Amino acid sequence: MSDSGRTSSWLSIAALALAMSTLVLCAVDEVLFVVDSTGKWIALGVTLLAAGAAVATGWWINASRQATVQRYVDLLCRIGDHRDLANISNDNSLPFPADDSWHRVFVQVRSCILAYNDRLQEADEIKAVAEVRAHRLADEVERLAEILASLPDPVFSVDSYGEVALTNGAARKMFGIEGPRGDGKNATRGPRDERLQEMLLEARRRKAPWQRAAELDLLDVEGRSHSCSVLIRALGVGQDPNDEVGHGAVAILHDNSQLKTIRQRHAEFVSAVSHEMKTPLAGIKAYVELLADGDTEDQETREQFLGVINGQTERLQRLIDNLLNLARIEAGVVVVHKQQQSLNEVLEEAVRVVQPSALEKQIALQSDLSELFLGVQVDRDMILQAAINLLSNAIKYTHPGGRVTLRSRLTEDEVQFEVTDTGVGLSSEDCGKVFEKFYRVKRHKDMAPGTGLGLPLAKHIVEDVHGGKLVVESALGEGSTFRVHLPAANSASPASSIENRPMESKSRSPRSIEA
Amino acid sequence: MSHRILLVDDELHILRAAEYKFKRAGYEVLCAFDGEEAWQLILENKPELVISDYQMPRLDGLGLVKRIRECPETATLPVLLLTAKGFDLARDQQAEALRVSAILGKPFSPRELLAITESLLSGVAQPASAP
Repeated sequence: MSDSGRTSSWLSIAALALAMSTLVLCAVDEVLFVVDSTGKWIALGVTLLAAGAAVATGWWINASRQATVQRYVDLLCRIGDHRDLANISNDNSLPFPADDSWHRVFVQVRSCILAYNDRLQEADEIKAVAEVRAHRLADEVERLAEILASLPDPVFSVDSYGEVALTNGAARKMFGIEGPRGDGKNATRGPRDERLQEMLLEARRRKAPWQRAAELDLLDVEGRSHSCSVLIRALGVGQDPNDEVGHGAVAILHDNSQLKTIRQRHAEFVSAVSHEMKTPLAGIKAYVELLADGDTEDQETREQFLGVINGQTERLQRLIDNLLNLARIEAGVVVVHKQQQSLNEVLEEAVRVVQPSALEKQIALQSDLSELFLGVQVDRDMILQAAINLLSNAIKYTHPGGRVTLRSRLTEDEVQFEVTDTGVGLSSEDCGKVFEKFYRVKRHKDMAPGTGLGLPLAKHIVEDVHGGKLVVESALGEGSTFRVHLPAANSASPASSIENRPMESKSRSPRSIEA
Repeated sequence: MSHRILLVDDELHILRAAEYKFKRAGYEVLCAFDGEEAWQLILENKPELVISDYQMPRLDGLGLVKRIRECPETATLPVLLLTAKGFDLARDQQAEALRVSAILGKPFSPRELLAITESLLSGVAQPASAP
């Protein structure tokens, strides 16, 4: 192609020379009048032909040149995508004339691009490593955020300006902070507690590992007080030891309110138990002393005193039984002896036990028991204790002159007994709480001494040990009804399956312990 | 002349034991089951000394003492308190402020109770109300 290009340029130059000479000849003819007319036309034709050929040749050369330029432009464009470079270098069909300036440009550009390509490859490798690291870091940050979020204790950090920077769910919930990170618009200074803010301020002026702990009563967003253990730490270790500027601080809170409530209840319980024990003990001691001092003259009084001592001893024993049984049932360490029983017989026994305290308080204790034989498969002592607890609870919270009624009945598939009183009654809130251990209804606390154990124990006995149900129906000032549902023992097979399940789980451990 | 005293306790058997001891010692004994009942008996019968339990329904021991001190007629009446609860600083300070003559823990000895009562009553002969 380059040869033909060169030939064409020679040709056009030759044609141009011919045309020029013809034109010169014509001009000479005109002047000298030597040439005849025919010769004139021939010369003119040849001249025109030569001129046309010259123009066509010029046009063709130009077009071919442009095509070549276009090829190089295409080539460079292709090189632009460096990945094609190897292929382009190996493409022998491309014209690379050794002396062409286009080729020199191409070679230079190609070497630049190759060098650039090497650097690009290096950069790609570095980028890949960086991407892996960034990915790992992102994973790590996400995991840390998850750990922070899953902490039940409130945690939040403040930046060097004292604004909340990072929070977990517990902290946001407690202090009503919106969003996991504070932003400029929504800047918050977290809990308003003065001492906490003072500690944060001091921590911000310090460097890690500076820290302080304190016990603070903090108000939550709803104004409730939480007694918290607070740990404040300065954040960030400055690279420069002379760097006096802090980096913010983190506060880790632990809410002890629940623990405090439990401790308080426990202390109240111990106090109530000792009071409950001391009262019968006081009776025993007083009457023993009266007898020992010979204050009693007649046999009748002595027997009366001995009767009181006996009654108080039994009362003490019942209290200790309640305590022990509740602890053992709760720990799953209790031996249950279930036998076929007459429920009415157990209930009559319970009435006999509590009758004296009803008489003493001038409360009418009535039994309205079913005339049918109510067969139950139960641990007699336990059901007796549950019935006594329900009855003595009713007597305690009924004013003198009131009435306590014990009823029993047989329904389709169960046996029921209930204790109804004309006493002070319970609010709907207290109805849900009276079966909680140590819980005592505040407004009626002073009506009678108690441990807050009788009802929880009765519920454990009825529900956990016997698979029954104990429910309360009551309204303030309108008395209460505590109803016990027990599976009937003589209603053939289903009863045995009901009573065996809870019993087995409870009785397995004690056997191995007591063996 | 026999001394007239008032015993207050919601536990009947404790009330009876103390009543028995004091009656045998020649006292005239009044009994009440709670603070309100005791206050009525104080107003009606003017006992020379009150022995009361702390924890009682309606009006407790400290409430009763407060009422006694606030009424000019009974302000100097000696009161002896019985308690089944242990040491309680706040309560004991309150009792001291209300000029409670003595606090006795339960279980108590009737013999000891009688002895303290006797000494308190003999002290009252020379007005002890002056601090």
